[in-house]
Amino acid sequence: MILPLTRRALADSWRSLLVWALGVAGAVSLYVPLYPSIGGNADMQALLDSLPPELIKTLNYEDIATGAGYVQSTFYGLLGFVLLVIMAAAWGTGAVAGDEEAGSLELTLAHGVGRVQLVLERALAILVKLLVITLVAGGLVLAYDAPAGLGLEVGDVAAMSASWLGLGVLCATAALALGALTGRRVWALTAGAGVAVVGYVLNALANQNADLDDLHAVSPYYWMVGASPLAEGWDGRGLALLWGISAALVAVAALALARRDLKS
Amino acid sequence: MSPTDSAVTTVALRKHYGRRPALRGIDLDIPRGSVFGVIGPNGAGKTTTMRILLDLLRPSGGEVRVLGETPRTGGPALRRRIGYLPGELTLQGRVTGRSLLAHYAEISGGVRAGRIPELAERLGLDLDVHVRKLSKGNKQKLGIVQAFQHEPELLVLDEPTSGLDPLVQAEFLRMVGEARENGQTVFLSSHVLSEIQQAADRVAVLRDGEIVSVSDVETLRRRAARRVSVALRGADPARVTAALGAVGGLQDLHVDDGDPVRATATLAGEMQPLLSALTGFHVADLIAGEPDLEESVLGLYRAEAVQGGAR
Repeated sequence: MILPLTRRALADSWRSLLVWALGVAGAVSLYVPLYPSIGGNADMQALLDSLPPELIKTLNYEDIATGAGYVQSTFYGLLGFVLLVIMAAAWGTGAVAGDEEAGSLELTLAHGVGRVQLVLERALAILVKLLVITLVAGGLVLAYDAPAGLGLEVGDVAAMSASWLGLGVLCATAALALGALTGRRVWALTAGAGVAVVGYVLNALANQNADLDDLHAVSPYYWMVGASPLAEGWDGRGLALLWGISAALVAVAALALARRDLKS
Repeated sequence: MSPTDSAVTTVALRKHYGRRPALRGIDLDIPRGSVFGVIGPNGAGKTTTMRILLDLLRPSGGEVRVLGETPRTGGPALRRRIGYLPGELTLQGRVTGRSLLAHYAEISGGVRAGRIPELAERLGLDLDVHVRKLSKGNKQKLGIVQAFQHEPELLVLDEPTSGLDPLVQAEFLRMVGEARENGQTVFLSSHVLSEIQQAADRVAVLRDGEIVSVSDVETLRRRAARRVSVALRGADPARVTAALGAVGGLQDLHVDDGDPVRATATLAGEMQPLLSALTGFHVADLIAGEPDLEESVLGLYRAEAVQGGAR
């Protein structure tokens, strides 16, 4: 049978995947159906207009009056983003550093598997799990599209999903790479969550002031939603950055783990 | 000895963690088909040596060959020919023992049908319990099964008997004996000589990253010291001190007043001189411990130092 480590990783974690999928479905269901009474509501718009513009820019709530802007601002860019980052960083950490600190990686690597193989197969398992989460979110958004009057295009939801998944994969691979380099959970988790948090802050700063606009270019958060894929469709540059850097981080992780001593 | 006759050879094998040396030049030659034990206190370098054989750690210097290959270049193909039991076995997950063993069987291959249930039966391990719910002893059994299940050419077992009750220990030692009859090589470690003395052909004593001695078990045992304690009814403490003080190989003698008089000491070598010295006393109780490795290793260390100094 092929990919024994990927299948093992998926078999070990289907319960947690199910819980996360339910959580993400809950987050979508919490916000998206309320579009008619919030984003599309004139009173709400008046309320938002009365808030300081800096706050609106920080929350990325500028386009909240359209269906695409609303879903991107409330789910993909906010609550869904937080959930995505937490699970991606946790899974990326668990793949090497968490397993190593727990002491169970030693026995797996003492069997007939290579270290590069281990990193690649476990990265694939994370990709599969994040893809499941992305499909659950995207599918539910489409299901709410007509009832909530969002006016979304299927192709744009696919584009948004690819960018959102790309950010999750970037967080996971950053955690994987730092875990493979250091063998320490805390570093892996810091890297995985740090990519998202720093990206969010850089994006928020760049939104405030045209002088800081260059910061957008280095913000993974901006790579995800800066080009508004849910409204505008596929964002080739953002996708290339998110997925390209992720691929490089997987390579770093594989080479790093192959070269060093296993921690005990 | 040609490489094909040796399961494991190391020459001047060194390993340091940062600046702290863990192995200071280890020379080992473990013939194929033999059972080789390594004993030593915690931190002596037993685990480090074993992890290098499995390519979990990379040596800082010297040479190592396992089944004719270097661990680094042998890769997964070499590790499929080895069964390994880690010293600190961690098993986790919401999977049954059966499922975990099937996973290891898949990645290391070569497990006969019926082999896993047979091993589990011998050790008294329930394969349908979730791994994280197993007691320490049962986890250890699972670890032993995963090391033996693919009948590897070389078994590397780090403290295999820890956590096992005596009956299971005995069964484990039978499994080691069968592996040897099968032509497999077994390399095992312990910090207690008694646990491996029945199984091992030869024993290396490791201390502070160096091999203090390599000898057969009987030689080591003769040199090992054990704690002894006797209770003598109606005896005069001064007479007891005099009688026992004359026994060769007896050290650290303490005689407590009272009735019975209790005397404790460490005894190296045979029991007979002590028993002879006790004739004429009313012996209420006699306790002789297993040879204590810590003390016997220290004893060896002192002995070597004295010999070295006398030369």
